[in-house]
Amino acid sequence: MSAPDYILEASALKRQFEVAKPLFGKAKVVRAVDGVDLKIARGETFAIVGESGCGKSTLARLLVRLMTPTDGAVIYEGRNIASIPEQEMRDLRRELQFIFQDPFSSLNPRMTVGALIEEPMRVHRIGTVAQRREKVAALLSRVGLSPQIADRYPHEFSGGQRQRVGIARALASGPKVLIGDEPVSALDVSIQAQVVNILEDLKQEFGLTLVVIAHDLAVVRHMADRVAVMYLGEIVELAPVDALFDAPRHPYTAALIAAIPVPQVGARKATAKLEGDPPNPIDLPTGCRFHPRCPHATDLCRTSKPTLRARDAGGQVACHYADELTLDGLSAGSDTRSDAANARFEIYRAARARSEGANAPATTTT
Amino acid sequence: MSAPLLDVKGLSVRIAGTSRDLVADVSFTLHPGETLCVVGESGCGKSLTALSLMGLLASPPLSVTGGEALFDGRDLLQMPLDQLQALRGDRMAMIFQEPMTSLNPALRVGDQIAESVQRHQGVSAKAARARALEMLRRVGIPAPESRLDAYPHNLSGGMRQRVMIAMALANDPALLLADEPTTALDVTIQAQILALMRDLQAQSGSAMILITHDLGVVAEMADKVAVMYAGRIVEFGTVAQIFEDPQHPYTIGLMSSMPTLGQRVARLVTIPGVVPQASQMPPGCRFASRCPFANASCAKTPDMTEVATGHRVACWQVPLEAGIDQRVSA
Ligand SMILES: Nc1ncnc2c1ncn2[C@@H]1O[C@H](COP(=O)(O)OP(=O)(O)OP(=O)(O)O)[C@@H](O)[C@H]1O
Ligand SMILES: Nc1ncnc2c1ncn2[C@@H]1O[C@H](COP(=O)(O)OP(=O)(O)OP(=O)(O)O)[C@@H](O)[C@H]1O
Ligand code: SF4
Ligand SMILES: [Mg+2]
Ligand SMILES: [Mg+2]
Repeated sequence: MSAPDYILEASALKRQFEVAKPLFGKAKVVRAVDGVDLKIARGETFAIVGESGCGKSTLARLLVRLMTPTDGAVIYEGRNIASIPEQEMRDLRRELQFIFQDPFSSLNPRMTVGALIEEPMRVHRIGTVAQRREKVAALLSRVGLSPQIADRYPHEFSGGQRQRVGIARALASGPKVLIGDEPVSALDVSIQAQVVNILEDLKQEFGLTLVVIAHDLAVVRHMADRVAVMYLGEIVELAPVDALFDAPRHPYTAALIAAIPVPQVGARKATAKLEGDPPNPIDLPTGCRFHPRCPHATDLCRTSKPTLRARDAGGQVACHYADELTLDGLSAGSDTRSDAANARFEIYRAARARSEGANAPATTTT
Repeated sequence: MSAPLLDVKGLSVRIAGTSRDLVADVSFTLHPGETLCVVGESGCGKSLTALSLMGLLASPPLSVTGGEALFDGRDLLQMPLDQLQALRGDRMAMIFQEPMTSLNPALRVGDQIAESVQRHQGVSAKAARARALEMLRRVGIPAPESRLDAYPHNLSGGMRQRVMIAMALANDPALLLADEPTTALDVTIQAQILALMRDLQAQSGSAMILITHDLGVVAEMADKVAVMYAGRIVEFGTVAQIFEDPQHPYTIGLMSSMPTLGQRVARLVTIPGVVPQASQMPPGCRFASRCPFANASCAKTPDMTEVATGHRVACWQVPLEAGIDQRVSA
């Protein structure tokens, strides 16, 4: 294999927020992103997962400079975008696009859907008015919406429909890197499947690099090439997707996997709940930040901080006992269907095949 | 069986001046302690159904054009606003899909929760603040003392969601409407919140309508499941019936689209096509234009038909096996 070609890198990246300023003494800070190093290869799908509040959105925003870091660098195509002038950054924004977590607050309610999708092209002076209108229509159908809705307003749409508008908008300027902060979590599974397929097609077509933050680990498992697991502002494990899910090395990764809700009645073994108090990002635990909740913690963990080091499969892990622990990954057959359901699915598949054959050339489905 | 807490019959919602129902003839009952999960394609009317029950439809242009929703025997759809407001946040609470739309950005989160507690429970400001703190802790907000005075924009997406959950649960509602309550949360916090909701149910016997597209959450939480498509309930049954004996082609299509944790597939299965525009909605079954089983009979609207006790389906071709036999022998 040739040396990987990295398109985006973070090095010792930090971002802090002041939360409360007491009358006396030092202001309290949240270390939302606390020393992150990562390299994203051109053309890969890189997923970031982790506990709510662990700094994923902050990291994503730093990577495209929607926010400036407190410290550290973000290298895009050889340039440190954390420190280039705003003017230069403006041109780069065309290449680095963002899909937001909350499609409601991120779409200007006074603009029509068409204008919203056209805006990035207008800002970057792409195409003529007519070409842009055509592109808007194409993008809308691409994300599974009817081009006829271009003159309607965001509030007229459901959450999932709005999220697709956000995706169309992000695609409009022809980005090289697309960062999605929960890009499909507002979507029902059938639309989610469409959008995931669209993102994968676009990735193929345009050699896009995708960075995806997602809570739905089944989606991550399906889409990602590599996955970074964050905990309290730091990466605790990073590995190729199969290695991570099948053989996690960090106890927090294993806890995440154990908490995945299984779509099968009565499947959940009791409640696979993480013990202990949720972490306090203002008053960080000593040693390993996961130790107060880790079932394997020892005195060493309470006092000494594990560094991120190589694990097997070309990954990295930050746990003192990564080599000794045997942690459960995804259990085989964790979602098996009943025979009756399987039979129904089979009938459905056969009918799909038949009706698509009969109507050939079939209208594209995704 | 005891009397239902909520009995919805024929609920319909429309945009003023149009003829298509965004929510069409939706009926179901809910008993104390029960959880009904509502699933269905984005835009099929799940949120509108919940908002109608809360009297919170964006009206105009939306309005309820038919049906009744008896809550404790009183029709929510006809109730005067002041009575409805007294119920909201007290006997009946909603967790909204988008937290920023229901949190006041200018108010500290602790004050928002405390204010609601004070209004409905008539306790002292101090007690209300203590309750707010307790609720923030119960939904797993780290360092809750220091977050009481935070503004919503100081919090991560998932924390805002938890603040809203804390607010909704603060007054022990008899009916909780939860619209994608855990979508913004990671799976460990999700497990914690779901457990919290189950605890609440066990303690106070409250009923819950849970809108979610996570079929894993459905399997874990639901007693009953309603599958909606283009404004209608197309299949309704117990959670076991829906997962182990899915009948409607849309239900089956939905379940096949789910990425599985087992084997990785190259491409996810999708349901062909898109939901038709209002003007192009086929007469009869609204799923017909995307359904591989559709035939001439589907141009008439299928009624909900019982296929097993408590399991109802609106499809002319059900059971699908029978159709196959006919086609083969034909
Ligand atoms: N503007 C801000 N002011 C103060 N604190 C902030 C701000 N933005 C984020 N934080 C804090 O930084 C931490 C990380 O937040 P971030 O939004 O990055 O988390 P996240 O991993 O994306 O969480 P989620 O999964 O819930 O979206 C949280 O503790 C959050 O409260
Ligand atoms: N204020 C409004 N004005 C006009 N149309 C609306 C309005 N609100 C919702 N709609 C339409 O009503 C339909 C149902 O919307 P609803 O929000 O109930 O969908 P949903 O099932 O909750 O979808 P999602 O899973 O995406 O949240 C959608 O087609 C939407 O476009
Ligand atoms: S009624 Fe007809 S079109 Fe509708 S779902 Fe059943 S088979 Fe398909
Ligand atoms: Mg976030
Ligand atoms: Mg909704």
